[in-house]
Amino acid sequence: MRNRASNSLSRGKIRQSWSKYNLFNLHRYRVPFNHNRSFFQQKWTAKATARAYHGEQVRESQWKRMFSHRIRSVIPMNPLHLAADDGSRASAGRGSGLEGDAKQPQITPYTQMAFAPLERRLDVAIFRAMFASSARQARQFVIHGAVTVNGQKMRHPSYLLNPGDLFQVDPERVMFATGAPKNKYERRESRQLKQKDAAEETVNPEAEEKVGKVEKADAKESSRDNLQALVVQAKSILSRGKNQLPAKRKQELRGFQKAVRRVLSRSDRSTILTDSLEAQFSELTLLLKTKQAEPKDSKAEKPVPRPSEVEENEAVPGEVEEEPFASDKLSEAFQQAAQGEEVDSSGLTKHETFALKRALAQMHDNPLDSTKPYATPWQPREYMSAFAFIPRYLEVNQNICAAVYLRHPVARPGLAEVPPPLATRSAPRPTAGT
Amino acid sequence: MAPRIQSRRVSSTLLPYLGPSLSTSIPSLPSLPSVFSTFSRSFSATAPSQSKLRREMFEWLDGPGSELKHHKPNRTNYVSQYRKMIGKEYRDLKQYPFPENPTFISQSILSLPLQNEIYKRVVEEKQTVREVSVTFGVDMRRIAAVVRLVELEKRQRSQGKPLALPYARAIHEMVPTTGIARNPDQQKMHESINDLPMHPLTGAQMFYPVPESRSFTRVDAGRVFSGAPAQEHKIAEKWSSPHHVAERVPKRPHLIELVGKGDNARQVLQPADARIPHPQLIALERDLAKYPDEPLLVEQRHQDRLRDQAEAEQKQREAAQARRERKITSVSPQESRFDYRIKEVAFTTQTTGRDGRAPWAPGRRYGVPSDDRKRGMRKVPTRVEA
Repeated sequence: MRNRASNSLSRGKIRQSWSKYNLFNLHRYRVPFNHNRSFFQQKWTAKATARAYHGEQVRESQWKRMFSHRIRSVIPMNPLHLAADDGSRASAGRGSGLEGDAKQPQITPYTQMAFAPLERRLDVAIFRAMFASSARQARQFVIHGAVTVNGQKMRHPSYLLNPGDLFQVDPERVMFATGAPKNKYERRESRQLKQKDAAEETVNPEAEEKVGKVEKADAKESSRDNLQALVVQAKSILSRGKNQLPAKRKQELRGFQKAVRRVLSRSDRSTILTDSLEAQFSELTLLLKTKQAEPKDSKAEKPVPRPSEVEENEAVPGEVEEEPFASDKLSEAFQQAAQGEEVDSSGLTKHETFALKRALAQMHDNPLDSTKPYATPWQPREYMSAFAFIPRYLEVNQNICAAVYLRHPVARPGLAEVPPPLATRSAPRPTAGT
Repeated sequence: MAPRIQSRRVSSTLLPYLGPSLSTSIPSLPSLPSVFSTFSRSFSATAPSQSKLRREMFEWLDGPGSELKHHKPNRTNYVSQYRKMIGKEYRDLKQYPFPENPTFISQSILSLPLQNEIYKRVVEEKQTVREVSVTFGVDMRRIAAVVRLVELEKRQRSQGKPLALPYARAIHEMVPTTGIARNPDQQKMHESINDLPMHPLTGAQMFYPVPESRSFTRVDAGRVFSGAPAQEHKIAEKWSSPHHVAERVPKRPHLIELVGKGDNARQVLQPADARIPHPQLIALERDLAKYPDEPLLVEQRHQDRLRDQAEAEQKQREAAQARRERKITSVSPQESRFDYRIKEVAFTTQTTGRDGRAPWAPGRRYGVPSDDRKRGMRKVPTRVEA
């Protein structure tokens, strides 16, 4: 289906998207002034606005089939009130109006729920669970086979979820959709790395034998750099071609790769990539060093350094590089931790130990990796927080990028679960001329 | 002078790797208007063509909109907060993602520790879903979903499949969350757990005259809405209290009276006491009012009731399962990759229609094309078996 959902500023339509154009449209949107417009004109604008947001990818006939005038709603009941009264008091009708109950019951916003059937669609649900940056992208994920429903691949974006359905998106796609994009330097860097790898492969066909020889050498004795080079070699051999290596050799290589990784990383299940370890390590020490150096310099002004200041200091690269490595103990501890040995944390302050722990944990799950299609280490994309909400009819587990569609969206007094960008405050009134 | 950087609160997603690559993306405060910054033809006197709206957009994004560029850890960051509001209907602006829609608020999600606690209580401590639901104020369906998702997460971790951990951390910083309180008495309820679904029958406006002397309860109102005749005096004495109904109906749902005949038979609308997810809380409140000085007795009665309810539910589940299995014979031959489930089908007027060619009739029939051959039939699956 052709994508008509452009981010036009002149039309100013609000879409299911996290783009900055959409954000600006959302910011400047006002409920139209309807007093001098005909009823038909009012209906036309209202329909265009609502459709642009809710179901731009849905054909009118599809929507007609889905629409239901019976809108679901619930009323929260208080067991205390139910226990106190069996309903006969209200039906007796005596003394009504005498009780000074100032709280008026809130209106249930049924009109906001008109597009509730569309929230059942798989592509919309993926967008609502924040697994994609727009409903269009969610649709693409489904069509490209990155989405499973109850463990089975589902390729229909218009699949209507049933209560209890569990859908899951490939975490790599989600990280790509929600992460900051690479800038042009990072793109070039990864392109060059890729070309370099390809060139090495063609030049060096005997790498397989080399690895086989070094495999027998004791891993502990060889230096850290050697280990890394070995992993890179093993990886490149494995990724080259399926037919070139016998199965047994492949198994050996994999086992070797695993063993080296175990040495390099603390936990077995980490997804750390070894080629980027050094870079991460140097950055980490930089950060920690500034953290330590900072209170010494500016003790008189700021006795308690706030974390934001640390960031500021760190972000000025020139200053940092001139100084020599201050915290040797910390870097030593980090080295030990990275090589899977016992960490000697006796020389560290409490603050440093905490920073070390946190940095190690994050290094394991958010590594620098130029092969990823998004900027690494992963950061949320810009303007994402302005669109960040998860409706209650979904229960989402972000770690595995899976969500359960619990129930159909419902309205309750004062609240609707379907998020239209605009509310109908009053019914449209026809002008005298029509 | 080095460029000055806006100070932000530290986000745990970014902490260790705040390198120069990130600092370039942080907007520097004294920025030129975007017209000049995008000016590429240095020798040309004409400004590049840019629409008024586009210029306004970049001005806004560089000015007030720059607050929205990066998330602010542990608080929401929506457009509504940076827009001047006229009128007082917006109570707490930080909840509203859409400035023009006060009926939609961003509600909290379960924090990761709370999810793990729920999983621990249900799976390891074997507490019932109902109990955990009341303790944390979480819907029972949500509890089931959390258990399912945490189980899946554990499996994926053990298999070494890729996880989106930094993404999860970022989302939990952007969206409001419900956590665990240190003091269990101060635990914040996540959502309302006793939601009564609005029944379509109650949408009709009715005028039903009742004598003043009669006690007209919720049970009677349900009967009126579903068009059931008034109960006989003897039965009414026994069944007119909604509390009695709430105690009996969940255990024996087959006792619910039917109105109408044949295909039009419908169950009589039950009072709210029997239709909410946690009817035992009403009985608990009644006991608390009845025996204000005997908390032990009240607790004992409550526990008994919970146990009875759990047993009854278990019995119903087993009965339903047995009924399902009785209809289907499963055959698993040796040396076969497949299990066969065979369902008995009777060829009668009811099952195949009067001419034997009804669309709902089982099996392939001569002259009746299958659905995927017909025009306008949906081929998108309607359900996926778990």
